Amino acid sequence: MVWIEKQRNILDFALSSLLRRWGKNLALVIVYTLIVFILASIFFLSHSIKKEASIVLQGSPEVVVQRVIAGRHELILERYMDDIRKIPGVLAVKGRLWGYYFEPATGANYTVVVTDASREKAGSITIGAGVARVAGVQKEDTMPFKSSDGTYTTLEVADIFSHESELISSDLVEISEEDFRKLFSIPEGSFTDMTLRVRNKNELNVVADKIRRYLPDTRPILRDEILRTYEAIFDWRGGLLVVIFTGAILAFAIFAWDKASSLSFEEKREIGILKAVGWETSEVITMKSCEGIIISLSAFLLGVILAYIHVFFGSFFFFTFVLKGWSVLYPRFTLIPYVDPYQICALFFLTVAPYTAATIIPSWRAATIDPDSVMRL
Amino acid sequence: MIELHGVTKIFNKGNTNEFLAVDDVSLTIDPLRITVLKGPSGSGKTTVLSIIGAMTKPTEGRVYIHGREITSLPERFLTEIRRKTFGFIFQQFNLIKGITALENVMIPSYPAGEKHSSLKDRAMRLLEVLNLSGKATSKIEWLSGGEAQRVAIARALINNPEVIIADEPTAHLDTRLSQEFIEAMAALKEKGKTVLIASHDPLIYSSPVVERVVELRDGRVVLEGSHQ
Repeated sequence: MVWIEKQRNILDFALSSLLRRWGKNLALVIVYTLIVFILASIFFLSHSIKKEASIVLQGSPEVVVQRVIAGRHELILERYMDDIRKIPGVLAVKGRLWGYYFEPATGANYTVVVTDASREKAGSITIGAGVARVAGVQKEDTMPFKSSDGTYTTLEVADIFSHESELISSDLVEISEEDFRKLFSIPEGSFTDMTLRVRNKNELNVVADKIRRYLPDTRPILRDEILRTYEAIFDWRGGLLVVIFTGAILAFAIFAWDKASSLSFEEKREIGILKAVGWETSEVITMKSCEGIIISLSAFLLGVILAYIHVFFGSFFFFTFVLKGWSVLYPRFTLIPYVDPYQICALFFLTVAPYTAATIIPSWRAATIDPDSVMRL
Repeated sequence: MIELHGVTKIFNKGNTNEFLAVDDVSLTIDPLRITVLKGPSGSGKTTVLSIIGAMTKPTEGRVYIHGREITSLPERFLTEIRRKTFGFIFQQFNLIKGITALENVMIPSYPAGEKHSSLKDRAMRLLEVLNLSGKATSKIEWLSGGEAQRVAIARALINNPEVIIADEPTAHLDTRLSQEFIEAMAALKEKGKTVLIASHDPLIYSSPVVERVVELRDGRVVLEGSHQ
């Protein structure tokens, strides 16, 4: 009971000390919160993007086969499909049609694909929200496309993809096979690439090896390889933010160092008074630790909450231009909140622990001097 | 009873700025009396008070309180002695700015673990005795010199110490307030406290309530006398 009352009294005094220097402490909390906010935003963002991408790519084919001529991607012929089907273990082979369409009026690049859903729907397209924004079209409007022979094809917008998938579908145009071939002058019997399903997933590498052997001008790409590539892309995007991250960490280090190396004359005097009137060194340190913990914990919680709102509800407004790169078709989307407890712990130990330590060190130094010195102030 | 045997204090020993503050002082402070250490600036008064009050250890010599040798005790025990045996009134009062008079009085008792409400009641009673109850919630910087001095006295008394130690308490006070201070010390002596004051103010060391004067010069005791 005495112990609890003692801690309560010390905590009360710590709070009153903080309020006494409210201007300085408020400034500390603001700077601290800002740093935690930047760090937490980066953590939340990179983690959430990677998570979202990996979920989207789970549905992608196990193996994609491309034809390569002189190191460049070339159209693949239908007869390749028959050869691949003969490889034991291959369940199904499908030709894919996709490409890019540059729209000079808007300066945007669309990704044009033929899907199972759109294959037969000649004359209509389904477009991503980014395309709809740039082209200024809505459902049931028409969009003109310039074919490779110079003529124009007008297609009706049958639907627009939902905002939930905008990170991936922003620049997408889903088109019928007939319209695709007409638009890009791709002859029947040719495809952009092929996808295949394999019975035993453990044999993916064996199948890929056989394809390479039987069809030397092809390149089989495994889903795991695509996933790794995407990971690398998002990590690279994360890598850009590492610059900001490093800056924030550096700012924090300077901030903590400043705190660690300095204690105002008034603070030193107070510590001397406390010691002189009968406070133990450990009690002074407890009081100063309470001050540090109150500041760092409030700033940490505030920073993390603001970062959560910023990333998951505010579409990471402050990092928009870093993340969205050079495209005309900026995706507008809200990330699904994924928070990794490990990252929160890492952030906690990166910020709260060093700051609290930085608060204790100068107080400990001041508290271990003879209280006699206060008699001479 | 407080006894000093051959106490010497050297600051910054072994450095170029080495300084002998107290030189082989032996002294006995009788209980329930008002003793004044007098002497010019730099005579070692404050250092002797610090050593008696367990705020600093002597370089040589021994200090006894009620026959118990305290010089060899570790820091923790010295803090306890400081908290329970002594009440300090500093030259510039050393009150903490930005908090109320009441909080300042309560500070020495915070680590004792007393219930906040009962501690507050005790502090209020002390302020009432010193005619300061109306200023309890005033911040220290709003108080006059005399009021601040009485807050410092109340703070020194909060742990009900046996000995009150005051270092140049009237250095920043006018004659009337200095008179009031010495009267307050006389009242405390009557209530069973031992009072030890370091001062070079004639108003203090010549006061009829002071029972013993010890004169220091260059860190040594040069004269001991009694008014009675």
